[in-house]
Amino acid sequence: MSFFGGNAMQSQQAVNPQNIAMAEQELEMVTDLFNRIVDSCYTKCISKEYQQNDLTQGESVCIDRCVSKFFDVNTKVGEKMQQMGQQNMPK
Amino acid sequence: MDFSRYNQAEQAQINAMIEHKQMKDFLRLYSNLVQRCFDDCANDFTTKSITGKEETCINKCADKFLKHSERVGARFAELSQQVIIIKL
Repeated sequence: MSFFGGNAMQSQQAVNPQNIAMAEQELEMVTDLFNRIVDSCYTKCISKEYQQNDLTQGESVCIDRCVSKFFDVNTKVGEKMQQMGQQNMPK
Repeated sequence: MDFSRYNQAEQAQINAMIEHKQMKDFLRLYSNLVQRCFDDCANDFTTKSITGKEETCINKCADKFLKHSERVGARFAELSQQVIIIKL
């Protein structure tokens, strides 16, 4: 009954709602992370004086570093939580 | 975010979901930006209409935030890629 001549693996076109939910959750996480980075780095890097329309060189560099640091903090906290989870296990 | 492990029907549904979320996000960005620029720039209440100074401030505020958001987006995409490559 397959009308698709190609890949046999993908010929089952059933939608697994669990997969959709998983993808949605992943997307939510990433979007949330992005929005928080935008807000935090704006507060940390950009003054409210608004001297000009463009980002200054200093602000640009600050933003690059801010995003990088945020990711590092994200990773480190993740590792820490994993550690703590493992510590609590052997009881 | 890699969606190649989902079949075609799932991918279609996921794409529709992504589009929906993007629109929601855009509206959130808009209202956020209005809030921000109002808080930072609209401080002269001796008059009902926006003064020239306030208008300039608002232009700069909007421009700056959008450029900032764009730059964060670019760096974010780069760094997410790196993280994925390291995990592999």
